[in-house]
Amino acid sequence: MQSLVSLSGVGHVYPNGFRALSNINLHVHTGEFLVIIGLSGSGKSTLLRCINRLVEPTEGTVSFSGVDVTHTTGDALRMHRSRIGMIFQDFNLIGRHSVLDNVLYGALGRTRSLPSILGQFSAEQRAKAREALEIVGIAEKQKSRADALSGGQQQRVAIARALMQKPKLLLADEPVASLDPATSHGVMKYLERINKEMGTTVICNLHFLSLVRQYASRVVALKAGVIVFDGLPPDITDAWFKQIYGEDAIEVEIR
Amino acid sequence: MRNTFTIVQRVTAIAIDIALGAYLFSVLWFVLYPALIENPSAQLPNIYGYVLTMLFACAFATAGALGASLGRLFVTGKASNGMRRTIQIHLGWILLLVTIVSGWIVTDISPSEFFSSEGLRGAGRIFSALITPQFDIISAALSAMVETVYIALMSTIIAVPASFILAFPAARNLMQGSVAARAVYSVLRAFLNIVRSMEPIIWAIIFSVWVGIGPFAGMLALVVHTVASLTKLYSEQIEDVKEGPIEAISATGASQLQVMWFAIVPQCVIPFLSFTIYRWDINVRMATIIGFVGGGGIGTLLTQYQGLSKFHEVGTLVIVITLVVWILDVISARIRAALQ
Ligand SMILES: Nc1ncnc2c1ncn2[C@@H]1O[C@H](COP(=O)(O)OP(=O)(O)OP(=O)(O)O)[C@@H](O)[C@H]1O
Ligand SMILES: [Mg+2]
Repeated sequence: MQSLVSLSGVGHVYPNGFRALSNINLHVHTGEFLVIIGLSGSGKSTLLRCINRLVEPTEGTVSFSGVDVTHTTGDALRMHRSRIGMIFQDFNLIGRHSVLDNVLYGALGRTRSLPSILGQFSAEQRAKAREALEIVGIAEKQKSRADALSGGQQQRVAIARALMQKPKLLLADEPVASLDPATSHGVMKYLERINKEMGTTVICNLHFLSLVRQYASRVVALKAGVIVFDGLPPDITDAWFKQIYGEDAIEVEIR
Repeated sequence: MRNTFTIVQRVTAIAIDIALGAYLFSVLWFVLYPALIENPSAQLPNIYGYVLTMLFACAFATAGALGASLGRLFVTGKASNGMRRTIQIHLGWILLLVTIVSGWIVTDISPSEFFSSEGLRGAGRIFSALITPQFDIISAALSAMVETVYIALMSTIIAVPASFILAFPAARNLMQGSVAARAVYSVLRAFLNIVRSMEPIIWAIIFSVWVGIGPFAGMLALVVHTVASLTKLYSEQIEDVKEGPIEAISATGASQLQVMWFAIVPQCVIPFLSFTIYRWDINVRMATIIGFVGGGGIGTLLTQYQGLSKFHEVGTLVIVITLVVWILDVISARIRAALQ
């Protein structure tokens, strides 16, 4: 089976000389719910950004649906990014704008610059945006300012923005790190539904192993920019846990 | 940590010392000596002054007295031992004293003139003229003031779109991509700094020759200066935006233009508005001053009456200016507070 995302020998050195990733070999298949774990600074965010090319890898190759996108630029890069949704720890909505507008921005990659700046989104796009808001259950908030919403609601708007892209792949960079446990599960459930019901592949960075065990179909662990574990959630034993998080680490539960 | 100065730090310290030594001696020679030894015929030719200044500067530098200490701005660690320290402190005091005394001489400070009976009578005359304004000219005064306010308004309105566009290439965080981008950034910033450091009154003189004396010249002068300073304020705001929304919008496949419009501009509009209103406020004051050199408006009227020594009329104009500037100041402060 051909993989959706393939990273071969990917490495990244930041302009200041800091090496964040080394020799990453990772193949993600359609339909997987892959969770990446690792200590703060281990390179999880950098790895995600190599896939949608917010970061350009300095070594190796990244391919998506069999197309090499490692050094893509211009319109081809825009097209590549538009196929991949992304959500963030801090939601990254445009706070002053309405919820519906924020969702519409998911269509920017496929809308020409000038019409979009003049606010000319098509009726079809607007209908799709409302549909996306309904999927995450906050259609009634579409006219509110985005920054008037609670954290969990904002993350759902961010998910709707990603859904607007009709993505083949959803990247989630610590999507619940700013949320309380109950809200965290709410957001994770939406990701699970998108994965199971729509068949969207998900790659998600997480900090809590309890969430990993509950939602992941596969786990990759990073340590200092290197993959040290690649397997199924139940296989993360205590020994592995100490290997990944250090000898003194204690597992914290989130229910 | 001792004696860990680099070459650059040593050279900087010596350069500071040479400059201070040269300053101290030339002030003594060219200001204090002629003023305090009041016998001009006994003065030696200036050439001795220059030579001695250079010698003094070198002597000061070899003592390494103050430069190393001031140079601690650039270095960490101990700059000096006890003996040097004492010399430095004394030299510092001498420099301060010499500066104040020579400043007194150069600015011609003269308490006797300030308090002379003739001077006080003159002051009395002008103050009483100013507080008994001549209201016959009130309509001319008001229409000149309206002209000034419009000069300020138009120059702000014309400057805003230009500043808005220039602010993006003048923002460091957006211009890190390529060598070309960095070059554009540096050249633009340098150019704006030069334009900004030329006061509007100088631009008014230039434009009054270019387009003739009048409100148009004054407005152009303000446009130039306003573009330069608003661009700086706007671009610093752009440099402050949060990275998160930029990443999020970029991740949807948005073009650079779309990223600017949807991720950067919404974070900046309120501060931009606030800066613009503040700038309009400044422009009203500047438009008044610019009138003095032919920029039109109430400033021009004021110089005319002042030239004719018609101080009752000047008093009217001063009242109008003060009132209008004060009212606009209050309004602009209110609006800016409401924008927060
Ligand atoms: N722009 C940058 N320039 C230089 N170094 C960077 C940059 N961005 C990240 N790094 C460094 O690269 C390393 C990996 O960063 P990354 O953000 O990928 O880690 P992470 O695993 O996502 O950590 P966290 O859990 O804290 O989000 C860190 O040590 C970080 O300091
Ligand atoms: Mg991270």
